[in-house]
Amino acid sequence: MGKVILEVKNLKTKYVTRFGENVYAVDGVSFKIEEGKSLGIAGESGCGKSTLALSLMGYYFPPLHYMSGDIIIDGKNISGMNPDEVRKTILGTEIAYIPQAAMNALNPTQKIIRFIEDVVHAHDPKADKKVIREIAEKRFAELGLPAKVLDQHAVELSGGMKQRTVIAVSTILNPKVLIADEPSSALDVTSQKMVIKMMRELMDKGYIKAMVFITHELPLLYNVTDDIMVMYAGQIVERGTAKEMVFDPTHPYSHGLMGSILVPEEGTRGHKLTAIPGTPPNLKHPPDGCRFADRCKYAAPECRYYTIPEKEFGDNRMYRCLKSLDELKEVYDHE
Amino acid sequence: MKHTLRNIFHSSKFVVGFAIFMFLLVMIIVYPLINPGSPLEQIGVGTFARPGTYVSLYDAVKTTPETLRIQDADEKRMANALTTEDKVAMLEWFSAVGVDVSGLEMDDSEGFLELWFANYDESAKPKGFTMAKRNYYKRLNRTVLDLQTGEALVVADPDNETGELVKIGEIKKTDYVNVGQVTNVKTLPLGTDNFGRDVLKELVGATKTSLGVGLVAGIVATALGLTMGLLSGYIGGIVDDLIMFVTNLFTVIPGFILLILISYSISPDLRGPTTVAAVIGFTSWPWTARSVRSQVISLRNRDHVNLSKLSGHSLLRIVVTDILPYIASYVVMAFILQVSSGILSEAQLSLLGLGPKTTVTPTLGLMMNWAMSYSAHINGTWWAYLPVILTITLISFSLNLMNTGLDQVFNPTLRD
Amino acid sequence: MKGYKKYFGKKILWFLITLVFAVILNFVLPRLMPSDPVSAITGKLAAGMSDAAAVREIYEHYQEEFGTNKPMIVQFGIFVKNMLRGNFGKSFSQYPREVSDILATSVGWTVALQLPAIVVGWLIGNILGAMAAYLRKGFDKVLLPVSIFFGNIPAFAMAVILLVVFGVELKIAPLAGGYAADMIPNLSWPFIKSVISHYQLPFWSIVLISIGGQAIGMRSMSIYELNADYVKYSRFLGIKDSKIVGYVFRNAMLPQITGLALSLGTMMGGALVAEKIFSYPGLGSTMYKAVLASDYPLISACTLIITIMVLLANFILDIVYGFIDPRVKAAQLD
Repeated sequence: MGKVILEVKNLKTKYVTRFGENVYAVDGVSFKIEEGKSLGIAGESGCGKSTLALSLMGYYFPPLHYMSGDIIIDGKNISGMNPDEVRKTILGTEIAYIPQAAMNALNPTQKIIRFIEDVVHAHDPKADKKVIREIAEKRFAELGLPAKVLDQHAVELSGGMKQRTVIAVSTILNPKVLIADEPSSALDVTSQKMVIKMMRELMDKGYIKAMVFITHELPLLYNVTDDIMVMYAGQIVERGTAKEMVFDPTHPYSHGLMGSILVPEEGTRGHKLTAIPGTPPNLKHPPDGCRFADRCKYAAPECRYYTIPEKEFGDNRMYRCLKSLDELKEVYDHE
Repeated sequence: MKHTLRNIFHSSKFVVGFAIFMFLLVMIIVYPLINPGSPLEQIGVGTFARPGTYVSLYDAVKTTPETLRIQDADEKRMANALTTEDKVAMLEWFSAVGVDVSGLEMDDSEGFLELWFANYDESAKPKGFTMAKRNYYKRLNRTVLDLQTGEALVVADPDNETGELVKIGEIKKTDYVNVGQVTNVKTLPLGTDNFGRDVLKELVGATKTSLGVGLVAGIVATALGLTMGLLSGYIGGIVDDLIMFVTNLFTVIPGFILLILISYSISPDLRGPTTVAAVIGFTSWPWTARSVRSQVISLRNRDHVNLSKLSGHSLLRIVVTDILPYIASYVVMAFILQVSSGILSEAQLSLLGLGPKTTVTPTLGLMMNWAMSYSAHINGTWWAYLPVILTITLISFSLNLMNTGLDQVFNPTLRD
Repeated sequence: MKGYKKYFGKKILWFLITLVFAVILNFVLPRLMPSDPVSAITGKLAAGMSDAAAVREIYEHYQEEFGTNKPMIVQFGIFVKNMLRGNFGKSFSQYPREVSDILATSVGWTVALQLPAIVVGWLIGNILGAMAAYLRKGFDKVLLPVSIFFGNIPAFAMAVILLVVFGVELKIAPLAGGYAADMIPNLSWPFIKSVISHYQLPFWSIVLISIGGQAIGMRSMSIYELNADYVKYSRFLGIKDSKIVGYVFRNAMLPQITGLALSLGTMMGGALVAEKIFSYPGLGSTMYKAVLASDYPLISACTLIITIMVLLANFILDIVYGFIDPRVKAAQLD
């Protein structure tokens, strides 16, 4: 087992709506990522995966609020730190973020190099502009981005170029962890490939040490990440390696989800495409029992009364269901 | 629908605006019932009578008085009769005859009188005082003496035959009549204007006309703008290009200038409030057309519109059932703004002397123009212009507040 | 650079087109009306005359002057020719003064008053709007209704209020004119001082009325920008909030330049009326006097000059905007 780069323990955060209601969007999430590994998080829209991405940054502003839990990056717990210290010493340098809508992530009226200068100066106010430019040019060249981008405004770049620029800027300070929230979902296939390639390069060259990749496109995760977690209604319902998750899902939700995709590999061909009927519970008042019970084909009455614990099994796998592995296997085989 | 209405009335801005506007509406409906008659009736012969309650002097004299002994009545009377000018003149006298006036305050009328009676001498001829000036002091002394001695005023009437004045009564300083018993009492809460008209009555009439002007202008502008916007947005192509060209043209060529051009070209006898309103509406539609167009374009390719098209529905039906309901809120907001700017345009036009020509109904702009022409603002006759300004501001404030409220209901990102 | 060329080319073309249409409108509108301008004018001029022959003579004189006895297209040719030469005919009310002569002085006063006032009002409005958007809560709750209220005080009303408060009541500002009535314009210190003191009230009244609308526009623009994705992203890269606020306001303020261009016409209208209230020797007062005296050539020239001024201001704003907002260049490249 390698060195743990990112460890999250029982993280809980909430949204406060403008009517003052609490939405418990991340409700007790725990996981670890080792050096050189990438973790994918999958789930339907609204399951809290984007909120989880924001929560991992350790820097909260309304409407998002931190409640409890720990975020430990390379042995350093950032969840108790003062926000200004997080901003100065953690964001961009220890952990970096690639937003969901990278199309609009860059200030349209600022030249890219000016923005890079601002990013560097936020951590090192005395950094020399010439040096910054050299670093930026070198990094852009390494990642296959044309140097002229530096002197252009975001509005002058194409969608794919914008996304790659965002990734390059996010990682300019060599953060240990990169959190990417659907970085490729709005792009065409070619740009998507380039983005994925770029992220792999960043890992291979050691500029980033671990990566969290969030998407609703499962086939992508299977190709890109080492491990996959499935999220449902603010909680992780199952965790395993990419292969295990696709070919041997245990939780009824993952099972349904995997059934709804086609992975272009042997063994998955011919699987029926099935969507899971129903909608997730309202996270303003999460149910006490199993959150998936309302949509679960196999739910028993008791599923709604017990708080379901995370159950570890196999080689660092986990699932969150009242039923035992054998029971689940039996019902799946029965179909 | 019900939900939307509830949301609208939850917006405090809308509610405040709505309340102000309703208040004004109720005023223009109720006030003419209390105080009927033409708003342009000239009741005063002089100009700019102060606001207040006017008691018929004739009737007051004829009303049976009560005797009331009120302590400070004399004092008040004296203070009122002794003007600052008189006091300054007295001070001049005092210094001429060498009286020490230190410690005498300007508002101490009693102190002035005391010193005056002690030091005035009709026969004295202080140095530098001309004959005329001494005579002035004699008159002043008489006035002051009258005040001091408590004599009554005599009411006399010429005898029908001889023409001689016959004393028919006396008004004592302690005589009081009850205002309620005087036959003719008129309250003019806002006084009269330069033509001697009751300003409040005129204001209510003017508010009504101006709201009417705004309404007509708003309807014309919205109808034209909506039609053009729908045509341009829905049909597209050459129609769109043409309408957009006109619209763009009119957004840079100032509408107010067009308004001036048209207004002075119409002969004054044809320039009634309705004509002016229609002209205002006609010069302000492009803005509505623009926003309707952009809304329609975003709707044009929605599924429900396409479905309607595929079902072979007529253009009219698609527009009425599939497009209008979705842009209704924008159209209402645009209409409100058009009404408000229409009222303002009329006022500005009137101030330039190009307002509606009328002898029946005043407008707020005309009232303002009259007040300015007679320098009401420089004479200090605030009642002739301040209420007009306040009314215009309140109308446009309330309309815009409603509009902001609606905007926040329909565009949630602008919410607090 | 290609993007710029295209943008500026478009703008210049558009400016010329609007100019042509403005001139046509200025010519056609008065002539489209049911009443004949010449008979309207002679009607007013001849109101007191009883001699039919004299009235007829006046009528014919003006018919000749306006060329209304010639075909429309010929009239237009004369109109354009005269306009290009700066010849707007002779004023009726100040006969035989040339209209162009009267306008030459008023245009200067109007530009010197309105240009700085509108710019200052725009700046203050934008700053207040940005503050309302950023601080929200209390500041916004107070500022927004106050701005709406101030934004709804008509220009003439603001002028009257300022005049009454500072001129009549406090007596710290002169009541009318562009300089003391007993002075002859020259470059002496007392004259300049008089001009400055007469400048204050008209200036501030225009500033105050333009603040409200701009503040409201800037507030919504800023709120929109504050919710933009780049704000969140920049925060997550550790950039300080103060710096991000800078991005936001720059981005919100740039489109406000277009907003200014769009509201310029309306603002001018209000400002012209304000000039009249202060008897400021600009175009507003000139136009008012012309209307009172039915001075047809003067009114016509005033409207044309004002239209051209607004068009020109719009054009300049467009050009400035093109240079400072890179989004324009990008839009041209699509």
